[in-house]
Amino acid sequence: MPEYTLKVRRYQPETREGPYWQEFTVDLDPDLSVLDGLLQVRDSQDGTLVVRCSCKAAICGSCGTKINGQSTLACKTQISEAQDGANRRPGDHGGNPIVVEPMGNMPVVKDLVTDMESTHWEKVRRVTPWLLPEGDPPEREYVVPPESMIDVTQSMACIQCGACVSACLSMEADPEFVGPAALAKAYRFVGDPRDSQTKERLYDLAQDPHGIYDCTHCFSCVDACPKGVAPMDQIMRLRRLASHDHDIDDVNNGRRHELAFTKIIERKGTLDESLLLQESYAQGVVGKLMPTSGAIKGLIGSLPTAIRGIRTGKMRSLGKLIPGVHPKLPGDAQQHVKRVYSHSEEHREELNLYITGEEEVVPEPDEAPDPLGSAVGGGRQHMDKVTEGGSETAGQSEATPVADIEPEPDEEGGR
Amino acid sequence: MSDLKLAYWPGCVSRGFTPELHGSMALVADRLGIELLELDRANCCGAGVIAEHNQELADTLNARTFALAQSTGLAMMNICSTCQGAQSECQQRLDADSAYRAHINDALADEGLEYTKAKDGWTNKNLLWVLVEDYGLDRLKEKVTRPLTELRVGPFYGCYVIRPKHRIGYEEHPDRDLYLESVIETLGGQPVEYDGARKCCGFPVITMNRDTSLRQAGTHIADALDAGADCLVTPCPLCHLNLDMQQPEAAKVTGRDLGLAVLHLPQLVALALGFEPKELGMGKHIASTEWVESRLAGGVPA
Amino acid sequence: MPKHDVLVIGAGLAGQRAALAAAEEGVSVGIVSKVHPVRSHSNAAQGGINAALQEGDSWESHAFDTVKGSDYLGDQDAIEIMCREAPEEILHLEHLGVTFHRNAEGRLGTRAFGGASQARTYYVADITGQAIMHVLYEQLMKFSAQISRYEEYFTSSLVLDDDGRCVGAMLRSIADGSMELFEAKNVILATGGNGQIWQPTTNALICTGDGIAMAYRVGAPLMDMEMIQYHPTTLAKKGFLITEGARGEGAHLLNAQGERFMERYAPNKMELASRDVVSRAEQTEINEGRGFDDGTVALDITVVPRKRIHEALREIVLVGRDFAGVDITREPIRIKPGNHYTMGGVKTDVDGATTIPGLYAAGEVACVSVHGGNRLGANSLLDTLIFGRRAGKHAATRAKQIDVGRPSESKLADEERGIAELVGRNPDGGRRVSVLRRELGETMDRFVAVFRDEAGIQTALERVKSLQEEYPKAHIDDRGTVFNQDVLGGIELGFMLDGAECTCVAALHRTESRGAQYRTDFPERNDDEWLKHIDLTRTDEGPEVSYSPVTVTQWQPTERTY
Repeated sequence: MPEYTLKVRRYQPETREGPYWQEFTVDLDPDLSVLDGLLQVRDSQDGTLVVRCSCKAAICGSCGTKINGQSTLACKTQISEAQDGANRRPGDHGGNPIVVEPMGNMPVVKDLVTDMESTHWEKVRRVTPWLLPEGDPPEREYVVPPESMIDVTQSMACIQCGACVSACLSMEADPEFVGPAALAKAYRFVGDPRDSQTKERLYDLAQDPHGIYDCTHCFSCVDACPKGVAPMDQIMRLRRLASHDHDIDDVNNGRRHELAFTKIIERKGTLDESLLLQESYAQGVVGKLMPTSGAIKGLIGSLPTAIRGIRTGKMRSLGKLIPGVHPKLPGDAQQHVKRVYSHSEEHREELNLYITGEEEVVPEPDEAPDPLGSAVGGGRQHMDKVTEGGSETAGQSEATPVADIEPEPDEEGGR
Repeated sequence: MSDLKLAYWPGCVSRGFTPELHGSMALVADRLGIELLELDRANCCGAGVIAEHNQELADTLNARTFALAQSTGLAMMNICSTCQGAQSECQQRLDADSAYRAHINDALADEGLEYTKAKDGWTNKNLLWVLVEDYGLDRLKEKVTRPLTELRVGPFYGCYVIRPKHRIGYEEHPDRDLYLESVIETLGGQPVEYDGARKCCGFPVITMNRDTSLRQAGTHIADALDAGADCLVTPCPLCHLNLDMQQPEAAKVTGRDLGLAVLHLPQLVALALGFEPKELGMGKHIASTEWVESRLAGGVPA
Repeated sequence: MPKHDVLVIGAGLAGQRAALAAAEEGVSVGIVSKVHPVRSHSNAAQGGINAALQEGDSWESHAFDTVKGSDYLGDQDAIEIMCREAPEEILHLEHLGVTFHRNAEGRLGTRAFGGASQARTYYVADITGQAIMHVLYEQLMKFSAQISRYEEYFTSSLVLDDDGRCVGAMLRSIADGSMELFEAKNVILATGGNGQIWQPTTNALICTGDGIAMAYRVGAPLMDMEMIQYHPTTLAKKGFLITEGARGEGAHLLNAQGERFMERYAPNKMELASRDVVSRAEQTEINEGRGFDDGTVALDITVVPRKRIHEALREIVLVGRDFAGVDITREPIRIKPGNHYTMGGVKTDVDGATTIPGLYAAGEVACVSVHGGNRLGANSLLDTLIFGRRAGKHAATRAKQIDVGRPSESKLADEERGIAELVGRNPDGGRRVSVLRRELGETMDRFVAVFRDEAGIQTALERVKSLQEEYPKAHIDDRGTVFNQDVLGGIELGFMLDGAECTCVAALHRTESRGAQYRTDFPERNDDEWLKHIDLTRTDEGPEVSYSPVTVTQWQPTERTY
């Protein structure tokens, strides 16, 4: 059986000061997991090595660790794949050790065991993680739309392993951020029709400066999650519900930023950055509403940056200097964009691939398998379903007239 | 004579607050023989922000851009990690469900546009991917007239061009999260390994939680400095804004002197192709690029 | 010392349910778990939970299926209670917020499961156990003022007073290794099964039969210890479970010749016959050379519509992909029978009470018995909740009626001494604990599995006894106090050896085949001699055998075919 080297970040508070690295070599079937490797170390080499583990099947959530820098479950990481990952690092390309560390953003108790209580669980408890129905329950079951139960099953799938918390880049910079696990849990209730405190929950999280608008939108939690919960997606849904469905203004200017961005594209087609900056803090300040003191502070805080930009020549044109003086799209393009807006605002459909899965194109007998394009791909967590009726061919529609796609003459690379 | 011809979406910020990006791209494309057909009727990708507000709207806006590109018969290129990420997410939904796609195409019908899934193997790729996968590093190397020897470059990818794993095409292209290093090496430079290379610059929360935002930017810049980088390179103008334009503010928040040049990917390539910093608008940067220039001139050693 | 009216040991479904039920009665409740409660093995239960809630279904029908499934060893009064109370329990769970699957009308929807005459399994995708347990934990967080949680505390033994009543337990804080005596008027064991005695097993590493052994050691009888369920569909190399729900959705079992062999063993129910029947069928195919080279047969899920797989079997798509490298929507997956569940356990009445006053048990640790010789799929979750609730309520009521004295502190000193001795053992004095553990697992899987005979069980029993002799010298590495997992492994090994010994003795003793016990030397069921439970009580010479009758209410034992 092949040999693998595990480079483990250890911490033995009773026998040694501070953390240190230790390498272990294990003989392991390549199909087994990194956790199996760690257990082999524990069973045959060093029983002082500790790692939380139980089911070994990615369902109990005990073995959250960082493997080659990636937060994940140790039981779910195949050792041969972990070795491939290790070999991709610059360095000894032949046989880099597999790096195993405890989860991040949490205090370390010993070796790979972290203190989840003070970070993960405290944040989860902060979102009032139990159902708050209205009044007395019915005699039988609550009647709810079947899709709603499937929808919240995505958050319900969370096994509280902490990998998302470990990977969260916002939390790295701001330890008070409520975090992906807690917010995904919050969605589980906000999305449940039986809960009667939807608005209150959203309001609470929007009024918390470390709440739903503190997420830096980096997808690290989506990558880390072993169960397809996609915490960041849940956070975005919370934002959408708070901002659109319940008209809740948050303390982070998040809603204003969102609305400003959206409106600017409707009117101009591309981004007017200075207008966005201004509108994010104080909507319609040119003329209408009085900005909050926080907004004024934010605006004034951005002045030094703006001044530097003017000085070096980044913002030299009128369109950049003065908010609002930004050209629309050429020709009738802007009109078409506006039409897109009215069509989309009417329906506001939310397609969730976790629920619907992805269609699989059934290829014609002599056709190559469906090339889904190299821009979209990757190991999907969703399943294919056979399309009803005929196959969707990558067929030819009538050649659409090539609209004015002439490159604009470049002036200093700007407009 | 060019054999690589692409529909080109420059994004908003490259024509806005980072005009030096747009300019350098044009110079690089010309020198490399890549013909770019700029989609100037196309609209903003939404940067993930519009999707937050109304998912269908973001999908439709990007479907429009895709359709405009498809009607040129060419594959599409973007020069912004954020565009890549926002667009890939929308494209995944559009491709996943034919009924949804038909519904979205309804909104485009007036303009005579239609997004067709996988039309002739149509793709939308960031410049970084185009250079490695379509142009080829060998070919790029041949064009290098000024190898960036002695230049230690820290790669900064930008979240949306490397995450989430299941959407960024790793199945077919498993090394997409190492491309910057390969490009740096091809150009003769030395890639620098540091903690923040694949982390978040903080741009998405700059107006929402300034401290969180700038702390991220500042920490990653500091890590790169500690690892000995002469500059950073990034394929995302939004990252550039937070790392370069906000660098003095980031320094204040982290309480650390910074002063690390941040280059756009086309600028780095252009330097290796022989262009001068002034032609590339490097004077417009907030964080001075003088150090880089002197390293290239064979000046001050490490 | 911490003091509670009701102390629940084990925080899986049964334990959490017991704690909540006791708290509802207004008494002081503590719940202890050697892992964080949501890590409990209940979360691995995938398929669903049974209840006769639908129009046209009846609890009697559910009860009969259960009685038949048990091969008539189940106590029918207990089964009646479980099936009668099931519908209310499901509704209670739904009211707490469990996200059960719905039909088109928005009401609770069902799926088919093994051994059932009609579809009555309620589910949440294929994460039913996890979903229910997490919702119960939400309630524990909600009632944290009334229910004290001791998370990551290891219970090493129970404490009786001089009158033989249970008055507490000995706990070790895993975080810092300190031992403490917990005082309780009632202790409810909810520590789950002991599947780790066999290797491989679908059970988690924590399923070491702690409660079974602790109860045994203080003199509580164990019952039906020979009844060990082998689940028909477990992954070959690693023992992972593939839910019965797959067969419920229509998946087929095929041998290496592509034959749907269940036709020959259970022509009516086919793949949805009871688990012991299916496991034996598979094992026979394998033993007679019609399996694959790696000792498996195939489970073909490709026949299930993709949309349905996506809706209801998502978890096993991931399991297949992550642990077997197989896309189950495209190709069959190799499986074989694997150790899964312990029908036997601590003998209790229908309120979870053992023969020791103040000591209760509920869930897999207990044997009421509702599962008799074989457990139906989706009845285990039900068992934990019904009897967890009943035990919690009964214990709380008892707490209001009695007073007990404090347990003696000297017992704590003894316990600490014993553990210190284990920690301090000379590494040259014997083999490692982990080595003994592995040997136990291999032995039991070889001789006390699907097919057994006297010679084999005897061999296993002798091996177990020899390991028991070696045990006092088996050593560990970690001598520290902070998060010492090594010492816990040592204590658990002791528990497992006791459990294994009891299983061997019972299996040897029952000279018939019934339910999960199949003796190749006694292949027939023999109601005249063996329609009774085997009870084991600890003596210094080993487990002493006695018998107790099976309670028959409505259903006289008949031939059991599917």
